[in-house]
Amino acid sequence: MGSADQPETVASSFWNDTGRSGITSWIFSTDHKRIGLLYFYTVLSFFLIAVSLGVLLRIELMAPGRTIMGPQTYNAMFTVHGVVMIFLFIIPGFPGAFGNLIMPIQIGAQDVSFPRLNLFSWWLYIFGAAIIITSLFTGGGPPDTGWTFYVPFSERTTTNVSLAVFGVFVVGFSSILTGVNFVTTIHRLRAQGMTWGRLPLFVWSIYATAWVQILATPILGITLALIIAERLLGTGLFDPARGGDPLMYQHLFWIYSHPAVYIMILPAMGVISDVIPVFSRKPIFGYKMIAFSSLAIAAAGSLVWGHHMFTSGMSDTAILVFSFLTFVVAIPSAIKVFNWVSTLYRGSISLEAPMLFALSFLLLFSIGGLTGLILGAAATDIHVHDTQFVVGHFHYVIFGGAGFAFFSAMHYWLPKFYGRRYAEKPAVVAWALMFIGFNITYFSMMVLGMKGMPRRYYDYLPEFTALNLTSTIGSWILVSGLILMLVNLFRGLLKGEPVGDNPWGGATLEWSIPSPPPTENFVEEPVVTHGPYDFSGSGIP
Amino acid sequence: MYPNLLTTNQAVDPVFMFIFGACLVLLLGITATMLVFVFRYHRSRAPEPTSQSSGNIWLEITWIVLPSILVLAMFYYGWAGYLSLRNVPKNALPVTATARMWSWSFTYANGKTSSKLYVPVGKPILVNLVSLDVLHGFYLPAFRVKRDVVPGMKNHAWFVATKPGSYDLFCSQYCGVGHSAMITSVEALPEPQFAAWLAQSASMAEHPGKELLEKHGCLGCHSLDGSPKIGPTLKGIWGRKVTVMTGGVERSTIVDEPYLRKSLLEPNADVVKGFPPIMPPFGKVLKEDEINQIISFLRSNGVEQSPLDGKKLAREKGCLGCHSLDGSVGAGPTFKGLYNKQVTVMQNGTRLTVTADDAYLSESIRQPKAKIVEGFQPIMPPYPDLKDDEITALVEFIEAVK
Repeated sequence: MGSADQPETVASSFWNDTGRSGITSWIFSTDHKRIGLLYFYTVLSFFLIAVSLGVLLRIELMAPGRTIMGPQTYNAMFTVHGVVMIFLFIIPGFPGAFGNLIMPIQIGAQDVSFPRLNLFSWWLYIFGAAIIITSLFTGGGPPDTGWTFYVPFSERTTTNVSLAVFGVFVVGFSSILTGVNFVTTIHRLRAQGMTWGRLPLFVWSIYATAWVQILATPILGITLALIIAERLLGTGLFDPARGGDPLMYQHLFWIYSHPAVYIMILPAMGVISDVIPVFSRKPIFGYKMIAFSSLAIAAAGSLVWGHHMFTSGMSDTAILVFSFLTFVVAIPSAIKVFNWVSTLYRGSISLEAPMLFALSFLLLFSIGGLTGLILGAAATDIHVHDTQFVVGHFHYVIFGGAGFAFFSAMHYWLPKFYGRRYAEKPAVVAWALMFIGFNITYFSMMVLGMKGMPRRYYDYLPEFTALNLTSTIGSWILVSGLILMLVNLFRGLLKGEPVGDNPWGGATLEWSIPSPPPTENFVEEPVVTHGPYDFSGSGIP
Repeated sequence: MYPNLLTTNQAVDPVFMFIFGACLVLLLGITATMLVFVFRYHRSRAPEPTSQSSGNIWLEITWIVLPSILVLAMFYYGWAGYLSLRNVPKNALPVTATARMWSWSFTYANGKTSSKLYVPVGKPILVNLVSLDVLHGFYLPAFRVKRDVVPGMKNHAWFVATKPGSYDLFCSQYCGVGHSAMITSVEALPEPQFAAWLAQSASMAEHPGKELLEKHGCLGCHSLDGSPKIGPTLKGIWGRKVTVMTGGVERSTIVDEPYLRKSLLEPNADVVKGFPPIMPPFGKVLKEDEINQIISFLRSNGVEQSPLDGKKLAREKGCLGCHSLDGSVGAGPTFKGLYNKQVTVMQNGTRLTVTADDAYLSESIRQPKAKIVEGFQPIMPPYPDLKDDEITALVEFIEAVK
């Protein structure tokens, strides 16, 4: 995949300076940059597959009744959309792609602590993904349980749930090993002078994320293993017909899957914290608060899983505690937003593509976060729980938040690795299309949820028609912007204008080395003398 | 906290208003500040930054403390409203809602069951939630009420309808291929009408069209049992060949939907020969959907000739959610061609081949898990409330699905 995209570059870059040749120089490479690009292109491929499924789901929902597919196909499709987006795109996406590409360079290291383990993590991810894909075409057909695999339905359906769950289980190990690797790297391999107080905020966020990956993912592994045991051995842990408790499954599932939301969003916050200062030419406002709030989110976010279960029949005391903790975890997110906006004050703001995506992140993430308060309050959650409101809210946080930050990172960092850049104007047009399409698509869903349309509905009552049609039309605008963005970006990376070492005027270490970087990253070991957002001494053009 | 609380809406809606209001203020504030900064400090107007400030401890404290107070207020109101959803009024009327893949049925204290949730206006209803298979969700958007229906667990919800009307009732927890079709309604009736409805014989076939016939006095002139009254009997009326007088001219016609519709709207246009043209028009009294319900009643039932309609029973009991009539494979074997077919079943782990005759079919309804057709899951719930004649009707119906 990556080797075909190799640009003409200076002789000493990581693109051509390897011992192997051809595809093996990529799939057996231990260079963090090559592994980062391997992750990038694999997660991007899965993203595009899942986007296509999402567009098909929206077309089906354009009008009541059958539009293009039957209910079983629809149910399988939203399950696969969710599983692929979550487990194969957004969870491995940031740590695997940009964590690998950027983090070692930002701390002044040659590579991660365990380069071979890093490669093994990618292989585990590919292996797990292959199992998930296999499950779609074998056995009883693609799983139809929703990405949550709720029991007892997931134990009774005749679709290929066991294999899909095993695939997710394997991908989980990849995530754990990446977390271990990154925590060790950040502790052990920082360059001289790279104190904890000088770590770029992207590194801080990757650090917080890595801890969540290490601590939460094993719970998912246990839960998924138990589902397989239920299905194959009939252990009866979750199945009430055998004396089990379906709510225990929901607890175990969300103990991982809520913190997983922070695996998705924390690195995105790190990207935004790096992009906004550079395009404002001003230090980040409240560095310590932003770094600390990442850790606070990672810690407190591990204790709020029960807010997914307010209607489940869990005890009222548990709802009291989980609702309270959910509001507590809202505070560090708010702190970040206020600090990002303050960074703009009295800066010199340049609205280039990475910055446009970052600023729209601020708006979309705020909408996602504020609608989360509706879901955190016990009384209001009851009405909108399991409705389209949740679907809209989640996409605001994960697509409008993490997704737009991912696009910001693509425009901000990929030119560093290709030595070339995209055209600015089409990038801005693409951004505008995506921003408008996004809001039409997902705001309509939130209104639908307020009006009472449940989620995972193949068909709906006529009263919901207009908003569903609006949402579907929005999805077409969104996708047209996405296609334009990708075409422009990759054409630019291969054939665009060459970029210098520091096209944006950044002060972090990746902008002090050539584009594309040499295999060893730094010609001589760097010594860090200033903070990551100190633009006074960084040779701003 | 809300001592005089009357409805679930009054518990929840103010919380929505408060949180949405606060969120809107915050969102507009953040967005406006951002836009002002981006405009004012755009590089075209501010070529160089005019500050290198990297933080302010008092600002940080402010925007930690103020949002904390705000979200704690949201938490408190959210919790208080939730408590009202949980505190069931003492005089609430209990109803048991039974969910299965993929239908609802509601059982009242007197044993009456219904596929719609009929309730009296103004009286709190306590809904006890029972699932026969997987997770379902009992969701009444109009009343802001939702609770999962968990097999093996006692969950409940309550609500009160303050106005007569029909309200959507959805399944909110994903439950498989029929999830989005697992819809019924709450029918809120004025107290006397509800009492009358509840008192009707539980075994009486329920059809809204029949209720309309009663409600509008049709049955005063048209019998359901074939006996002649002032007007023609409705028994077996569908498809009947009748001779009518149209503008004084005799002609014959078949009773079909256009004819019945016209007879309701312009009763004296085509009067059946031998009857006086005295029926009043119902165009202003009946709504379009009510006319359809009456026609559907007259069409489907042929009126009373079979008090136990196996097909209707199969639909009402949810059988058709899993057993198709057209040969397609659902969660259970199709009914099409099932009768007298040789099927391979598993009984206590051993394979047998049996004939799907009367005995086998009625055993399968009484004890579904005794013999499971090979390739299917043992998920069918038993139906202890089915009477013998109802089972016979079901078996006769299955026999008829060729």
